[in-house]
Amino acid sequence: MGKLITFLLLALTTAHADTLLLRGAVVHTVANGTLDTGDVLIRDGRIAAVAERIDEKADRVLELKGLHLYPGLVSPSTDLGLVEIPALRAAVDDKETGEFTPEVESWNAVNPDSELIPVARANGITHFAPTPQGKFITGSSGMMAARGWTIEDMLVRRHTAMHLVWPGHSLKVPGPNAPADAKSLDEQARERKEKVREIERFLADAEAWAKRDAKSPKVPAWEAMQPVLRGEVPLIIHANGQREIRAALTWSEAHPKLRIVLLGGRDAWMHAEELARRKIAVIYTEVYALPSRSTDSYDVQFSAPSILHKAGVTVAISEGLERASSSGQRNLPYIAAQAAAFGLPVDAALASITLIPAQIHGLGDQLGSIEAGKDASLFAATGDILDIRSQVKHLWISGVEQSLESRHTRLAERYRSRPKAK
Amino acid sequence: MKIRFLWALGFAVVSAAFAADMLRPPGLRPLEASSHALVGARVVTSPGKELEKGTIILREGRIVAVGAGIDVPKDARMHDMTGTTIYAGFIDAHVSFAKSTRNAPEEGGPPVEEGVLTSGAVAPFLGVNSAAGGPGAKSVVTPERRMTREHAPSQKSLDALRHEGFTAANVVPDTGVIRGVSTFVSLASGDPDVAIIRPDTFQHVSIDAPRSGSDEDEDTKPRAYPASLMGVIAVVRQTFIDARHQAADHAHYAKHAKDRPRPAQDTSLEALLPAAEKKMPVLFEPASVLMVERAAQLAREFDLQPALLACGQEWRRPELARAAKAPFIVPVDFPEVAKLPEDDDWLAVPFETLRAWDHAPSNAALLRREGVEIALTTHGLAKRSSFRTNARLAIARGLSADDALAALTTVPAKLCGVGDQLGTIEVGKLAHLTVVEKGGYFDKDARVREVWIDGRQFQAPIKDDKKDAKDKKDDEYEAKKSEKKVLREKLTAAPAQQDRGPLLSPKSVLIKNATIWTCGPKGLIENASLLITNGKITHVGSFKVELSADTLVIDIPGIHITPGLIDCHSHSMIMGGVNEGTLPSTAMVRVEDVVNSESETIHQQLAGGLTTTNLLHGSANPIGGQNCVIKLRDGAAPEDLKFKGAPGGIKFALGENVKQSGWGDAFKSRFPQSRMGVPAFHTNRFTAAQQYMAEIEKQKRDGGPPVRRDLELETIAEIIRGERLVHCHSYRQDEILAFLRVMEGFKVRVGTLQHILEGYKVADEIAQHGAGASAFSDWWAYKLEVYDAIPHAGSIMRERGVLVSFNSDSSDHARRLNLEAAKAVKYGGTSEEEALKFVTLNPAKQLRIDKSVGSLEVGKDGDFVIWSGHPLSTSSICLQTWIEGKQYFEREAAKRRADSRHTERLALIAKAKKIATGSSTSSPSDDKAKARFFFRTLEERQNHLCVDCCMERSLSWEN
Repeated sequence: MGKLITFLLLALTTAHADTLLLRGAVVHTVANGTLDTGDVLIRDGRIAAVAERIDEKADRVLELKGLHLYPGLVSPSTDLGLVEIPALRAAVDDKETGEFTPEVESWNAVNPDSELIPVARANGITHFAPTPQGKFITGSSGMMAARGWTIEDMLVRRHTAMHLVWPGHSLKVPGPNAPADAKSLDEQARERKEKVREIERFLADAEAWAKRDAKSPKVPAWEAMQPVLRGEVPLIIHANGQREIRAALTWSEAHPKLRIVLLGGRDAWMHAEELARRKIAVIYTEVYALPSRSTDSYDVQFSAPSILHKAGVTVAISEGLERASSSGQRNLPYIAAQAAAFGLPVDAALASITLIPAQIHGLGDQLGSIEAGKDASLFAATGDILDIRSQVKHLWISGVEQSLESRHTRLAERYRSRPKAK
Repeated sequence: MKIRFLWALGFAVVSAAFAADMLRPPGLRPLEASSHALVGARVVTSPGKELEKGTIILREGRIVAVGAGIDVPKDARMHDMTGTTIYAGFIDAHVSFAKSTRNAPEEGGPPVEEGVLTSGAVAPFLGVNSAAGGPGAKSVVTPERRMTREHAPSQKSLDALRHEGFTAANVVPDTGVIRGVSTFVSLASGDPDVAIIRPDTFQHVSIDAPRSGSDEDEDTKPRAYPASLMGVIAVVRQTFIDARHQAADHAHYAKHAKDRPRPAQDTSLEALLPAAEKKMPVLFEPASVLMVERAAQLAREFDLQPALLACGQEWRRPELARAAKAPFIVPVDFPEVAKLPEDDDWLAVPFETLRAWDHAPSNAALLRREGVEIALTTHGLAKRSSFRTNARLAIARGLSADDALAALTTVPAKLCGVGDQLGTIEVGKLAHLTVVEKGGYFDKDARVREVWIDGRQFQAPIKDDKKDAKDKKDDEYEAKKSEKKVLREKLTAAPAQQDRGPLLSPKSVLIKNATIWTCGPKGLIENASLLITNGKITHVGSFKVELSADTLVIDIPGIHITPGLIDCHSHSMIMGGVNEGTLPSTAMVRVEDVVNSESETIHQQLAGGLTTTNLLHGSANPIGGQNCVIKLRDGAAPEDLKFKGAPGGIKFALGENVKQSGWGDAFKSRFPQSRMGVPAFHTNRFTAAQQYMAEIEKQKRDGGPPVRRDLELETIAEIIRGERLVHCHSYRQDEILAFLRVMEGFKVRVGTLQHILEGYKVADEIAQHGAGASAFSDWWAYKLEVYDAIPHAGSIMRERGVLVSFNSDSSDHARRLNLEAAKAVKYGGTSEEEALKFVTLNPAKQLRIDKSVGSLEVGKDGDFVIWSGHPLSTSSICLQTWIEGKQYFEREAAKRRADSRHTERLALIAKAKKIATGSSTSSPSDDKAKARFFFRTLEERQNHLCVDCCMERSLSWEN
């Protein structure tokens, strides 16, 4: 408890400091290489300067010799804040009913007091994009800071991406348990095409609405689609299988205005060239999922980010939403590390959980790297952040140092001090 | 009624009766001749033996003469058989006349009695008052069912068999586990009184994973025991035990009627007795080649006389079929590939499905090559009329025509116990003949012209030649059809085991200049060497020895060596259900019965450095099933995967899963429904086991009625005697303490507490009790009882004296246990060497196998991993994995393996696309052969696994 108060005081005091100089750390800027020893000056919540040596006087100087400074990790797609305990329906807010609900906004359901947020933060995650799930167009996500008294306090920006969960293309094959009224393969193939047509129609209607008479009634769903249609906000397509990815690529080719991003991407490596040519970024979530085909190499998904990167695809890395995307969010750097161990250059691995997710969400000018002018969200660790054994020692969001305490550290401390049982 | 029926149909066999009976009333057609001479045919008297121009004389349903140039009796009707081939009548040893056939949902026997909880022959449980399975659940143990009492085939189904040349068949029961007794019949008549040649042929036992009516039901409705493959095997074992027990009990009663209570008289068990006493053969119907091995094992355990119905997957492990040392009845229901709507859809067809499709027609030939006796059957065919075509395909794949003929005549005759009456054309045998024109039966254009059954002629329908000509498609169509046929006759797929098994098996292997994490007293040694000879570690550290010439030397700069990793909690490689989640105690079920040696996950886990794993039953009940510790000797059959000498164990569970809180509203009646009930339940079963032990002791000491062997209580008794380790899934501190205290009450020391998420809160108590803790590294918050789980737990428990390991509980996490160990360094501050022991030495100790594995010490097994760098670093990868001095994984070889499998897959897809027939518009249920193409075999039906959990029912990890 004492520690908590210290941290709060610390948070308050730094909040009032105008300038903070972080001195003598290894600075992994992500944008401009690594400084073996460097200083970072923070002023009013922003990074004012990054250099090998900054002599400017600061209200506070923090010696970080031996520590590594990294930009805050940005989780591009997560259940964090939306799901506290997946097994309890009452604690799950990541999915809506309906097939076209672009007006759904994920940030409205983020619980600022979730016990899971401080746990993720303690491993370097400063920002995350809570993602609405469901069928087809599920809604939009915003970018949130991993701290704040209220959702408005946490929000960095609303409407950073719209989500389209691509309809499944798998066929229910005839089997011993097939019901008598099971549909034929051709019928199912037709149905999956029809689903794509429905998406097409929805977009066309949304586009038509833009040209409406000024007096026509307001339709929140159509309104929510406009920034997507104008290409201001990316349309993140959730697709993992080869068939779904190919269908999504084919469909989107006819919509050059849309800013397409692929999320999931299990089999995206099969379409690496096309993704690179069309500059479609991939948020790869399947590193730690089992190969789907017994003819694939055991490491096919460990290597996929590297294959995509080598082909010229922009790759962000994330945990799959259907897995421990909320409670397991703290493992984000280790997923990127696995991709690095299997060929993704370390720089690219680091960018895949910092700058690239920030760019995907249109916040490349504010988050994801240690550069002058950017938001001062960064952390100091005892070593390589991709290595599990490294410890985060300090973490700042918008220049304010954050507590690294969590439900976990409190429980650990409490029971470590339990008197020995008789 | 009875007599009129006989008159109408039953004259052939009763023809030896009184002459007066033979005169039919006026108005009915007089009886046909009973004496026939078949002259001028090529007569194949038995496979490989034939007469060029033979004569066969039949009289009153029997063959009375056979040979060349025999005199034809004056009263015989002459039949000119020139141009035909005559065989002994064909026998189908496995015919079901019911509409359901294999792979169809089970229909089942009589309803399960209310309150009995079980549809198997297991006594009801104390303290349980719900009827799992719900109203309408059917018994799957029906040995009393006799097909001889149910035989009533339609004329159409008899015709269908006769048209293919069959004259006799063994009619089988086709539902349930212990299904009942088949009956051997002539196909002349549908009247059981005249058709039955041998009333009781085999007792039938199916070894397949039970399915509920639909996939949805499986998740939402309680099911009756057994609901898993391991449950099925336990039911079979207990039922055979019970049948013998009942007989022994009655024998005892006969002598001591006045001194003891009257024994129960279960007619089901009584009906099983002939099979249990080896007086009747048992036909096992295994759903997997791995279950062929289990069937053989059951036959050995209970001294049965086994025969087997081939599952069609014998190509996966032909050696297991050979080792069964029993005849096989082999269906020719080959899957037919269906047209798929789009090219990309082909990539989604599982490789194993393509392989199974390609191998299927080779199955009969393959079994013959293994020296197995085979009988062919029409069983499983959607249309029996495709039998000859498919048998010809089997011949094209290498089955000899003589073997094929034997498989239709002599072998099934002997197998069904009618070898003295059927199977060959010999004097004195029943007049069963199959007459073929236009060549031999297996020739392209041949046609069954007629069959003779019990001396009566059954002619094939007259063929409409004009219609035939009209049906004939154009030349192009015919050419295409024949091209497809030729393609199908060739085997494209590789043998299943081709790319499995050890990559290197040197006599000795030396690793030089490596950093060695011994996990033993020598600790971490740099620039060290490791020498393994004949599978055992002989030297570790710095040493000088003379190397034999055949020593393999490994010298790769920068490598680190660790012991092979050990996973103390896994559900990978378990076939047909991880949970027998029906009853609250299923101590009688055994994972060792259902180890899936064919799973790709073995290779994937080896690739992460895993060498030993503890396969556990799920956590659906307070007392689960028995575990099985295996080594990942990829390519070995289940028996050879097992860790010899590892003590037996059992899975227990507490908390949310066993009280069914996440199972849905239909699951509210099984005891326990709260954490209060869990210790009460454990106390109940342990008390029962104590009483069971006492009864056995008393009987041994004082005599008296025999005690029924109870597989559930026997297992719990082993725990009480300290012979079996308890691995208990546990979460909250209250339930942990309550459980430890109950166990202490029975003087039982728990082997491991699994998951043990709040173990850090009661670490002292766990240490005092002496249980090991097998934990997750950092899982939490997936359900309410893990909200207080912390990643420091392993370290805190270790600090307080508990033996700690980290486990995977997931086929994914099992691929990187070294990185899970690194989390103990990060969160708990445990030293690197001690953290590595969380996944090596400590789980070995917990499983009581540390004498041979867990550390790199002289005398232990040569199980080790070569890492590219520091084993706890995320930048290191596993380069090689060795078990007992044999290399099972090597990164480059793994890549080559994947490449070659991929190439094979593309070849199979290309072939399948060429052969794919019909359109994909047909509704899926109308073509069984195509359905069989998509049918996932037992080995491939992967369990949906999840972290914690073990709850197979769940598609996600949440439960």
